[in-house]
Amino acid sequence: MEAQIVKPTQATTRFQDFWGVFRKNYMGLVGLMMLVSAILVAIFAPVLSPYDPSSTFDVTTSDIYNPPSSTHWLGTDDAGQDVLTNFIFGARVSLTIGFFAAFISLAIGGVFGIIAGFYGGRTEEVLMRFTDIMLVIPDLPLMMVLIALTKPSIINIIIVIGALYWTTTARVVRSQTLAVKSRKFVLRARAIGAGKGHIIRHHILPLVLPILVVQAVLVVSSAVLAESTLSFLGLGDPTALSWGQMLNYAFGRGAMSTGAWWALVVPGFGIVWVVLGLTLLGQGLEQVLNPRLDTHHLMPSRPPVKSEAAKRSDEETLLEVKNLSINYVNDGHAPARAVENISFTLKKGELIGLVGESGCGKTTLMLGLLRLLPSAGQIVNGQVYFKDQELTALSETELNKVRWRGVSIVFQGAMNALNPVRTVGDQIAEAIIQHLPDFDSKNIPGRVTDLLELVGIAAEHKDQYPHQYSGGMRQRAMIAMALACNPEVVIADEPTTALDVMIQAQILELLDELRKKLGLAIVFVTHDLGVVAEMCDKVLVMYGGVTAEYAEVDTIYNMPRHPYTQELLKAFPDLTKPKKKLSSIPGYPPRLDALPSGCRFAPRCPAAFDRCRTEQPALHELAGDTHIVSCHLVEASK
Amino acid sequence: MKRWRYLLNKISWALFTIIFVIILNFFLFRILPGDPARAGVRDPRLTKENIEAIRVRYGLDKPIVNCFESLNPIKLGSCTVNPLDTQFFIYMGNLLQGDMMISFHTNRPVTEILSERLGNTILLIGAGQILAIIFGVLFGMFSAWKARTAIDYGSLTISLVAWSLPTFWLGVILLFWGSNHGMPIAGMSTPGMSSYPLLSQWGDIAKHMLLPTLTYTIVYMGEYMLIMRSSLLDVLSEDYILTAKAKGLSVFQILKDHAITNAMLPLVTIIAINLGFTVGGVIQIETVFSWPGLGMTTVEALNRRDFPVLQGAFLLIAVAVILSNLLADLAYSYLDPRVKTE
Amino acid sequence: MSQENILEVRGLKKYFEAGRPSLFSRNVPQVHAVDGVNLDLRKSEVIALVGESGCGKSTLSLLLMGLEDPTEGRITFEGRDITHLTDTQRKGLRRKIQMVFQDPYESLNPTQTIEEIVAEPLYVHKLDVSKNIVDEKVKKAMEDAGLKPAEVYLKRHPHELSGGQRQRVVIASALVLEPEIILADEPVSMLDVSIRAEIINLLAELRITRQIAVIFITHDLGSVGFFADRVAVMYLGRIVEIGTMLDVLEKPQHPYTKALLSVIPVPNPRLRHERIILQGETPNPINLPTGCRFHPRCPVAIPACKASDPALMQISKTQQAACILLVK
Repeated sequence: MEAQIVKPTQATTRFQDFWGVFRKNYMGLVGLMMLVSAILVAIFAPVLSPYDPSSTFDVTTSDIYNPPSSTHWLGTDDAGQDVLTNFIFGARVSLTIGFFAAFISLAIGGVFGIIAGFYGGRTEEVLMRFTDIMLVIPDLPLMMVLIALTKPSIINIIIVIGALYWTTTARVVRSQTLAVKSRKFVLRARAIGAGKGHIIRHHILPLVLPILVVQAVLVVSSAVLAESTLSFLGLGDPTALSWGQMLNYAFGRGAMSTGAWWALVVPGFGIVWVVLGLTLLGQGLEQVLNPRLDTHHLMPSRPPVKSEAAKRSDEETLLEVKNLSINYVNDGHAPARAVENISFTLKKGELIGLVGESGCGKTTLMLGLLRLLPSAGQIVNGQVYFKDQELTALSETELNKVRWRGVSIVFQGAMNALNPVRTVGDQIAEAIIQHLPDFDSKNIPGRVTDLLELVGIAAEHKDQYPHQYSGGMRQRAMIAMALACNPEVVIADEPTTALDVMIQAQILELLDELRKKLGLAIVFVTHDLGVVAEMCDKVLVMYGGVTAEYAEVDTIYNMPRHPYTQELLKAFPDLTKPKKKLSSIPGYPPRLDALPSGCRFAPRCPAAFDRCRTEQPALHELAGDTHIVSCHLVEASK
Repeated sequence: MKRWRYLLNKISWALFTIIFVIILNFFLFRILPGDPARAGVRDPRLTKENIEAIRVRYGLDKPIVNCFESLNPIKLGSCTVNPLDTQFFIYMGNLLQGDMMISFHTNRPVTEILSERLGNTILLIGAGQILAIIFGVLFGMFSAWKARTAIDYGSLTISLVAWSLPTFWLGVILLFWGSNHGMPIAGMSTPGMSSYPLLSQWGDIAKHMLLPTLTYTIVYMGEYMLIMRSSLLDVLSEDYILTAKAKGLSVFQILKDHAITNAMLPLVTIIAINLGFTVGGVIQIETVFSWPGLGMTTVEALNRRDFPVLQGAFLLIAVAVILSNLLADLAYSYLDPRVKTE
Repeated sequence: MSQENILEVRGLKKYFEAGRPSLFSRNVPQVHAVDGVNLDLRKSEVIALVGESGCGKSTLSLLLMGLEDPTEGRITFEGRDITHLTDTQRKGLRRKIQMVFQDPYESLNPTQTIEEIVAEPLYVHKLDVSKNIVDEKVKKAMEDAGLKPAEVYLKRHPHELSGGQRQRVVIASALVLEPEIILADEPVSMLDVSIRAEIINLLAELRITRQIAVIFITHDLGSVGFFADRVAVMYLGRIVEIGTMLDVLEKPQHPYTKALLSVIPVPNPRLRHERIILQGETPNPINLPTGCRFHPRCPVAIPACKASDPALMQISKTQQAACILLVK
């Protein structure tokens, strides 16, 4: 959602953008350098090589397979020729064949892929079926047969490799074309009346091109390998001494038995150099053009920083968060302060709403409670008490006993929070087996059925997979799973986002019912002020990682003191006042890596004054300690 | 229901592809000027009578198909001949009976030669593939789990290098090394071993297999490792892994119960798609180590222009790859519930 | 036809085939995405089209744009039948009806600059070849869409802008053709609450400054207040209730509209009220229920609902609803 702000950067071209990232990718850079060096060697072969390859200088038997020496740095081969010279000129043959063959195959594959992907229907079916057939026919035997049946010459080899190596390109390009075609901007182009030619040229090609470049790099390496293999098997052009051909002669003419390792190692080294260079370049390009996250959920998390324990406000509370701060460690930069100094309490049966826009830190806070943060996240201050346990001080093993048993989480089930290859019932049972070892295993299926019925899912759906559920059912299943071990606290993370209004109402009703029936305490994380007003007892409004306002629900909606809360309420449509004009808050929420120096809301605040821009306001307590506001205006009025 | 439709679809597709390959195979070898028998004329072991006998037996004097005397489109033939009396249908008929002509070189039936060699190739591919998958998956798993650590970068580098090695060259280097360290350098058994007890015969074969299998394993392990790594990295960043972690499962449990099956799915597909390339690798390895399998047979037949053997070997290899692909598809339908249920 | 209607839709239907014919049966099940919609749009009017996912509101918008071909029915624009036009015939028309999409992150081509995006419609329609006039029109459209000053944005790429700004770019590229109708498909649902209002207010302004009629498609009945003149509620491919904004929000007639209204959260805990929560989910549009298509979920259904399929009937001068309980 809304997270970025306009970067004060100069306008850049796509290539400059690309290069800016690529130059930091060592893998790609090394690959590029390896490739460029090989190409330079090929271009300047006559300058670089110590001998002229075409001269048949006097060769005597004593010249055959001479080891490396000062006259022949890399020794001589089976014909008494200089290996270094042949190696340098071999680069020309190998690279020429590689590049030309790759060009042919890219042209075929690219055209096939784009046509199939863009036009779809019959055309696609015929083209892709043909591609599939070509893909399963083993390529090397077919190449061998084709070349054996024609004549081994450079041209034939180029044509044969080019004609057989387009299948992967066609598949990759087709799926990229399909992906691009289904994107909304293509629909938008159609809506403004653009024709097919215009759409392919301006919208499909520019987005398929990067994939085609990566594919080109990989195809060149396959083609170089294919040529060397064919030559090694004796199907190369006998008049052009490629690296594969050199190996063929050496292997077939006694290099092995005479121990002439140089004749075997040197040409092979050339092939590996070029292919490895291309592979690294391809991997590097792939990483740049298609960046993936650096982290995953099983990376070791950073241990919480021990801080002096603050006094608990009330021993009765089920969950108490005290001055919790969470940073994202950012290599080489100052850490991003995602959550700062957050405190709240939760009693049995209570429902607290954690509200804020995207990027306000509410999800980080929620994950921090059970220490499920991504590996860059670290609790740098504060405590989380669950009953008498302090969660930030527990070991992973001890914490695993609290997770789900004491505090469970309802993730956005409509998304991908359920494992697609295991049945829903199985995933619920797993939690029971994990946390309730005394539970009689015979009764588990019954318990799972009970749980599903509790959330309104008929028992017959127990053994179905998540993809057989609708979005609303998945959310219900997620709730059933969260209740499996009778937890005392349930954290609900945007449980109704992405659901239809009616399904959303059903889920909210269900949560409210369960809370009353089971006496659950619920932390409800959401961006929707309306939902919070309908259900919650207390509300914590977050902005830019800090508490803006924390109070009873009625106070928040009817006596808000923080300008952010006030403005946010004005931006929220209210059906009871249909004629009221909505107002928006100018500007955008701050990015965590570029927080403003004073109050984080100051740049968008209609009431900001000088102090707001330099000094972060403290948490001021109003009405005893039931209403907390972080604003200089409140301090002034106190 | 959906599963059956899926299987039926895959099986009929495999059959269609096999028929396509058979037809391709038939016409490919008739692009040559003349006919296959005449192309083998250069072989001194074939007498004129032999050639004539082959021509008659395999109907090489008949038109190729109706209306076409040969593949030369200008020289059309009669369309009224009995379709069963054309080269194409005689070829198909013979094929159905398992008859794939006679080797020009050895004068033995091609079917007999190929069936002798097939087992050796399966032995080599089987051993190599299993090892490559085991090590590839293991290294890939560790690499993904320990992403962005020295373990990860180390195994990534090794895999990329292994992936870039030309198979035949790696074989040559290993062979060179092996021959200096007392390893057997050719074939799959030492001559005269047949008089020894069975156990030592097997030991001998295993010793011969060591280097070819090692070559195979190194080359394909790199690729499987890369795929497993990237696939597991994707899976481990999925939301359901976070759910599993929140459920209080240990890292080991999460990997075992939630990550590995999902990460294996793309690998199965890639292994299937790669079978065609794998065959290419086996041909190289068999040639380098003189392993008497289909690959070496193909290369030998190629060098001797022994077209019946070449044609047969090509067909057998292609059909084997298509069938293995089918097997992989079936395996996939067992692993992924989204295929078998509505 | 009435003089003031610029767009008229009569009996519009769109059926999709669900799957392909198999070996065993020729009859392909049909998805009744849009199933008989009538709608009039007056000049510079704002109609909100409200419904849950699967109600056919997005298909309806594609039909109006001519991006899908209707199965049945008629669409008239300024008195001209535009139901089935070839691409060339439609080209001139495209200028008159423009669309704003839901997801501003997806509806801009990441490789184009903002200038290229906004100018693209002009080049596609070969309207103004002169660079000066193009520049001027692009600037005007961008500033009308609230991207001021335009020079700051021209050379940027979409990824450098925030969601709200991107949505403004989409609107600018629609405005550059000087359309008479803008079809806005959930234009704010992907944006943060604090900036939704600015996009809605922008659309509201345009109808005044440029006399543009707006069809505002949304799932959120709560967001249509203030801005819409009329509201149409859709359920399973049909309009079940239509009326002025105050008609629909303050005295809804159809039980579905009542239920939808009751579940919209009110941002005030003092006004918590009884909600009518419909059970189950919208049935799939392949096997439609008999009779009134809402009856299986209707809290006030009577046996007769199973048998007869009610048509829209006049409730007041400005309001229509389709429910047999309203027959007096």
